Amino acid sequence: MHGGNSFSTILITMNKPADAPRESALDIRFGQVGLVQVRIRTTDPGAILDELSGRIATAPRFFERTAVCLDLSGLERSPAVDEIRGVIEAVKRAGMMSIGLTTGSLGVEELSGALQIPVLSHFRAQRNETVPVLQPVVPQPQEAAGLPALMHTQTVRSGQRVYARNRDLVVTAVVSAGAEVMADGCVHIYGALRGRAMAGAREDTTARVFCQEFHAELVSIAGVFRVFETIPPDLAGKPVQAWLEGDKLLFGRIGG
Amino acid sequence: MTEIIVVTSGKGGVGKTTTSASLSCGLARRGKKVAVIDFDIGLRNLDLIMGCERRVVYDFVNVIQGDCTLKQALIKDKRLETLYVLAASQTRDKDALSSDGVRRVLDELAAEGFDYVICDSPAGIEKGAHLAMYFADRAVVVVNPEVSSVRDSDRILGLLASKTHRAELGNGGVKEHLLLTRYSPRRVATGEMMSVTDVKDILGLDVIGVVPESADVLSASNSGVPVILNESSDASRAYDDAVGRLLGETLPLRFIDEPKKGFFARMFGG
Repeated sequence: MHGGNSFSTILITMNKPADAPRESALDIRFGQVGLVQVRIRTTDPGAILDELSGRIATAPRFFERTAVCLDLSGLERSPAVDEIRGVIEAVKRAGMMSIGLTTGSLGVEELSGALQIPVLSHFRAQRNETVPVLQPVVPQPQEAAGLPALMHTQTVRSGQRVYARNRDLVVTAVVSAGAEVMADGCVHIYGALRGRAMAGAREDTTARVFCQEFHAELVSIAGVFRVFETIPPDLAGKPVQAWLEGDKLLFGRIGG
Repeated sequence: MTEIIVVTSGKGGVGKTTTSASLSCGLARRGKKVAVIDFDIGLRNLDLIMGCERRVVYDFVNVIQGDCTLKQALIKDKRLETLYVLAASQTRDKDALSSDGVRRVLDELAAEGFDYVICDSPAGIEKGAHLAMYFADRAVVVVNPEVSSVRDSDRILGLLASKTHRAELGNGGVKEHLLLTRYSPRRVATGEMMSVTDVKDILGLDVIGVVPESADVLSASNSGVPVILNESSDASRAYDDAVGRLLGETLPLRFIDEPKKGFFARMFGG
């Protein structure tokens, strides 16, 4: 089981017509919601139920009626509809709810159709792109905490994006204008920052952005951002950090 | 061993085709067997600049589609023994190129004993540009000393580092070089133009050549003689230096400082 994945959702809010007669019946908004992913390596419902129950026992309240995305990428072959139906049932008996499927392989569309459950393949693609190295090596016994930073040693060029999920991002090169670096934790750039840097991508307000040479286009922490049309002269080219104080995004020189 | 060099830039009009023509002439003049391929399907410029447009019978797309053999389509240069041109098709669009087809042609050129294949990329980051860079061993990124060209080059460098065969194999990737064209030391001195150092800093790459802005480039294009062959031109010497550096020579950069005015010019303000 891996830690919560964030994904875009559409939130539909119903208003009571009596209370607010002039307003529309609903609002459609895009939002981010954390989601637990369960990566299965077998379709044996018994084995899955056993293991899930064991893990849940450590934090029963946390997993109660939790929405879960089934990650099928750990399976050796494409599973049959009935097998996945069994898995969904096992997850349900463990007290969680499967709300989506994700995998890199084909055939998931058919499963999705047969089981009436959406494909959230978006995750998979993103994960492959950003943290390919860590997949097979690091088991994730716990949630986010304790993951080593994602190390990026090459220049991040215009049009490229690097995202460190559930951890800090360290870039030991330049982030070019038009490039985007993002982390759920802090972003550290030991080079010039000419592009965009976003820390606390999942609302961690204690995350910070650090860079060696400040020429940023945009800096954001936990969704609070500032666009730099011109760089303040006291920050331009200097080592700078950015942090949040309440709703305010602050910038300061590092080391005087 | 055949080396495939893509000449690319992202932005149009920065001098890719001029550079492809001059580099391939320069390499051939040093005894290398060189083929230069125009990937700009639908527009066809290289053959004009190489001065062989009236000898194009078959083109790159014909070879890919099997209408003719590679030998029939390669146009032998009249000036240099070991230089061949493979022209683009003007009557097709870029969808006529396929990855398999391009690979086949490049393999065949390798089997024919070519030392270098220069791929003249179209502008943009679409299919034609992608295929031109995909099989490259090295890339010459042509950049003008101005912001939008530098930004586009940065984008192209990102693609070279991720969307090429070498990048996918993960064995060191494509070796990248910068080549500045239309460089005017006078305008750099007045602050109108970015300097070599500015461009180098932003893109973080070594510069393989700086070609000064020169009227000779335009007249060379119009007369179908690659500018490198006009020995009296500064642009020619700059391109020849770039060829030397491509072959591993260490040469100081020329034409990057404003020429010193002579004694009389200084005295009389000439």
